[in-house]
Amino acid sequence: MMSLSLSAFDRLAEPVRRWIWQQKWSSLRDVQEKAIPVVLAGGDVVISARTAAGKTEAAFLPLLSRITTSGRSADGFGILYVSPLKALINDQHRRLESLCEGCDVALHKWHGDVNEEAKARARKRPSGIVLITPESLEALLVRRGGEARGLFGRLDAVVIDELHAFIGTERGMQLLSILSRIEVAAGRDRIDRIGLSATLGDMRLAAEALRPGAGDAVTVIEGKDEGNGLRLQIRGYLLPVPPAEIEGEPTEEGTAPVDTFEGNDVPDALANDLFRLLRGRSNLLFAGSRARVEIYADCLRRMSEASRLPNEFFPHHGNLAKAIREDVEQRLRDDPRPTTAVATTTLELGIDIGDVETVAQIGPGFSVASLRQRLGRSGRRPGKPAVLRIFVMEPAATKGQHPIDGLHVDLVQSIAMVECLRAGWCEPPTPTGLHLSTLIHQVLALILQTGGVRAAVAWKLLCERGPFRAVDKLLFGDLLRSMATGRLIEQSPEGLLMIGEAGETLTESYEFYPVFMTEQEYRLLHDGRLLGTYPLSMPIARDETLIFGGRRWQVMDVDDHARVIVVRPTRAGKPPYFTSGGAGIHDHIVSRMREILAGSEAYPYLDDQATLFLENARSAFRHMELARRSIVPFGSGVLIFPWVGTRKLRTLMLALQARDFKATQMRHVIEVAECSVAGIVHHLEAVAAAPVDGGALARRLAQPQLAKFDAFLSAELMSRVTEVERLDLPALNEVALAVLEPAYAIESNRL
Amino acid sequence: MTPKTAAIRPRDRDTIVSALRAGVVPRIGLHHIQVGRQREIEAMIRDIDRIAEGGATIRFVIGSYGAGKTFFLFLVRQIALQRRLVVCQADLSPDRRIHATGGQARSLYAELAKSLATRTAPDGGALRNILESYIQKASEKAAARGQTIETAIRDGLGDLREMVGGYDFATVIGAYARGYEDGDVALQDSALRWLRGEYATKTEARSDLGVRTIIDDASFYDALRLLARFVRIAGFGGLLICLDELVNLYKLQSVQARKQNYEQILRILNDVLQGTTEGIGFILGGTPEFLMDTRRGLYSYEALQSRLAENSFAANGLADYTGPVLNLLSLTPEELFHLLERLRDVFAAGKAEDWLVPDEALHAFMEHCAQRIGEAYFRTPRNTVKAFVDLLAIIQQNPGVDWRDLLGSVEVMEDSGASADHEIIAAADDPDDELVTLRL
Repeated sequence: MMSLSLSAFDRLAEPVRRWIWQQKWSSLRDVQEKAIPVVLAGGDVVISARTAAGKTEAAFLPLLSRITTSGRSADGFGILYVSPLKALINDQHRRLESLCEGCDVALHKWHGDVNEEAKARARKRPSGIVLITPESLEALLVRRGGEARGLFGRLDAVVIDELHAFIGTERGMQLLSILSRIEVAAGRDRIDRIGLSATLGDMRLAAEALRPGAGDAVTVIEGKDEGNGLRLQIRGYLLPVPPAEIEGEPTEEGTAPVDTFEGNDVPDALANDLFRLLRGRSNLLFAGSRARVEIYADCLRRMSEASRLPNEFFPHHGNLAKAIREDVEQRLRDDPRPTTAVATTTLELGIDIGDVETVAQIGPGFSVASLRQRLGRSGRRPGKPAVLRIFVMEPAATKGQHPIDGLHVDLVQSIAMVECLRAGWCEPPTPTGLHLSTLIHQVLALILQTGGVRAAVAWKLLCERGPFRAVDKLLFGDLLRSMATGRLIEQSPEGLLMIGEAGETLTESYEFYPVFMTEQEYRLLHDGRLLGTYPLSMPIARDETLIFGGRRWQVMDVDDHARVIVVRPTRAGKPPYFTSGGAGIHDHIVSRMREILAGSEAYPYLDDQATLFLENARSAFRHMELARRSIVPFGSGVLIFPWVGTRKLRTLMLALQARDFKATQMRHVIEVAECSVAGIVHHLEAVAAAPVDGGALARRLAQPQLAKFDAFLSAELMSRVTEVERLDLPALNEVALAVLEPAYAIESNRL
Repeated sequence: MTPKTAAIRPRDRDTIVSALRAGVVPRIGLHHIQVGRQREIEAMIRDIDRIAEGGATIRFVIGSYGAGKTFFLFLVRQIALQRRLVVCQADLSPDRRIHATGGQARSLYAELAKSLATRTAPDGGALRNILESYIQKASEKAAARGQTIETAIRDGLGDLREMVGGYDFATVIGAYARGYEDGDVALQDSALRWLRGEYATKTEARSDLGVRTIIDDASFYDALRLLARFVRIAGFGGLLICLDELVNLYKLQSVQARKQNYEQILRILNDVLQGTTEGIGFILGGTPEFLMDTRRGLYSYEALQSRLAENSFAANGLADYTGPVLNLLSLTPEELFHLLERLRDVFAAGKAEDWLVPDEALHAFMEHCAQRIGEAYFRTPRNTVKAFVDLLAIIQQNPGVDWRDLLGSVEVMEDSGASADHEIIAAADDPDDELVTLRL
């Protein structure tokens, strides 16, 4: 005990110190040592450390010291702890139980699985700590709006666990908005926020996410404790040589809604390794699209049966019935039998599965943030490192292959993402994101909470004071009009916004409370035949060429309401190997890919095959002289390598299409058919110099309803969302310029 | 038209002035500032008489914000008190509704019970007086018949016991009488608490009073009927229940909740129209949209719409004052002028020689208001009255000032509704702000 630092330990309240004694801790952890005086002093704080470094106690020891004097007086909750996961709440409840008992502070669990009586009791005598999910907090505020002041008027602080998981997401916006609404309802200027976060490269990001507009005033504490560690590997696999293409008519008919076109036969070596590495443990296997989830789950199930072993591989995706999904979640959470859930992105979101031993992923995925989320599912138990395996398939070098194949994009992207992850980098929230869908939700919630609100007040609360800062009064007025058209809201004669007829149906259901949606897909049809699915998040324009299942297709029509893309095959040359998906890749990742290709560093986490792929890719990079040029002639056209993220790439491609080029996006490259280098340079120069007509470009794109309430946006607002959230118009001039001057590009990428 | 300038007591004068300046209705001296609406008041007097004769009435008093609903209801209450009715009143709010499951209906009942007023206790809190008046009557009867007081009290409540929920109601009144006779203050308080609907749990009521039920959300209307029956037994004419701000039902954000409240209103309406209740009258005050909006107002409920629809002949200046709906028409400019005159009288304590401004100033003031907010100045007079009273107050305190110099700076706002009272965050009413004026 003597080794405890006097300063931090001694400043804690007496019952808290007694509890530490009882736990027989030899010393406070580094992050706790640093956090205690700061949290005791008050103000907003971000506490970052690795998993299992004692962040929870770092926040709660001083916070309990702050409220312990008020005891059990039932005049409002003292601390609100918000966590994205129910399982985490149950864990924290166990962890905090004895501490709270020792301090004589009430501790309430509050989420969908907690029975109503327990919640009613907590509401009647509100005191102590509430552990709650954002959705339950929303429900509480919406259904008991009148009690908000009584419940939260004396709130001392809000703790947000897994803050990094909220950054820039719909759920994050919702949570920030709820917190702002609570502050207003409680009649308080601000209530201290304590964010618990994984270590991020730029911690100011987390600070800004904790208190939008005032991130500078947030104190950031970074713990130096060694966590459980991370073990990761990238494994390479050779794709089987695709069957010879049949001219004109693509393969057989009557296939199941599984995209047999994607070359989705799992290579034997990959199947064997998955089976060998995953069986006997509890794991998550992120396989990509729904179709792929089914293929992998089925393949692994058949292998189990062939070896006369009980099956422990189960698919989990949005198309499955809820009961089936819940069975998988429950088995993973509560069943001692080893289980592997083969999932799309569904299990990244706030679904409860507890923790798993290892995480596996097919292909590079889309974002470092999601990689971090996935990784966070394992290694939660003390002494157990997080284990991540990325399985990458690349085509074998064949004669006449597409030059992009030689760059082994999937592998290089996987390396780039892992490197970003190791550097603690993660995608910052898009500052221009309008989040209109979530704002619609918050307007409805605010009306329910207050029983009717004026438009000017709603704007002040949600946009000026709350997190929707990119929405000005004009836009907010348009949004309200859009909502009124959809009969979500209506107005009383004196101007009060009220729930409209359609809104009533919507808000009465429990499904109203969450704002996030599971991933959605377009169905790809040719001649009325289902070819497969295509991610909704991938911006797509009519007449463009897309690559699917190893073929080139021309987009004939896009129906955003029915979520259908009608295509017809084109006769252009053989496309590169292409996995559909991969929307929204950040600039930083693509620019890292370029550095990896141009460099010579060896990465210890690559297996032999992956190492070989990397060597081949680097030599292809040198062969195409990509270090000194970004436009490479190919066939009758050119390939453009802007080395930028998806949004900028899409914008550039649309600009070229607007100039009547036959431009196709292929991963991070734009292929332009039937043109010369000189011709494209000429037009790029024009693009670089011309002012950007954003509306015209955005209107070329299909505008799928990605977010939950996008369906209620008017065509103009949807176009605005597309323009701002899915394109990067301000960067267009610069991107075009950078393609023309690679040397300049390298400079700017380093920024 | 010329008012009989009665002398105005200084206390009335001060109350009226300070209330009007705050934009609320003064509690006393209403007759000094009442103008127009003669036929509406006559209709209400007929209602009051019917209640006093043991009948039942219901009126929906419908008028826009600031049209003078609240003023009108106050006036009717004062008349009812004069005619020996017991009167209670409450505003509906998000926490006080006619039907609810979360305690909001009980809370409305409690508010009504707390506001019970009689002629001798016009400011509310008259429940105790009513109980004691009953005990008084019972003991006289007991003396006359040679019964014990307890027996007389029990016998007198026989009717009550027959009614829905009446047994416990009568038991609690008996308990109060016992406490009164024995000087048991705790028992009296418990009984009062029970009758005011302030018990939250049955267990508590059982241990204090020996009854198995309490007045809760479900018994809101039954308890009012019992109360009405009881005040007649206690020697009063009947019970007049004034519910204001019914627009709060229109503002309920759940269809379910609105429907249940309208069902309750339908039940009351049916009982009154069919004559199955006695000695009870309801006045429900609300804005036109509360009545007529076919999606969320009373008219959204088919059965209510057919019962409340206006007499189709009552149009083009013809009025029907016998239907359940009483539309408070806006004041006319003449009536407003008259009102200003009366306000001038109030300031002068009824003496024409003390008038602060000449008639000319009243005309000029009305003109000024018309320029500022158009005809709203006489349609919804609340803010106009407030501005005028403010003006007079300045002239009175600064005798050297000429009203002409002040008139230009008089600010009159259009009445934007009552909801600003419970706004959760202050939004400046900046007229340039497009959201303030936004109409969907």
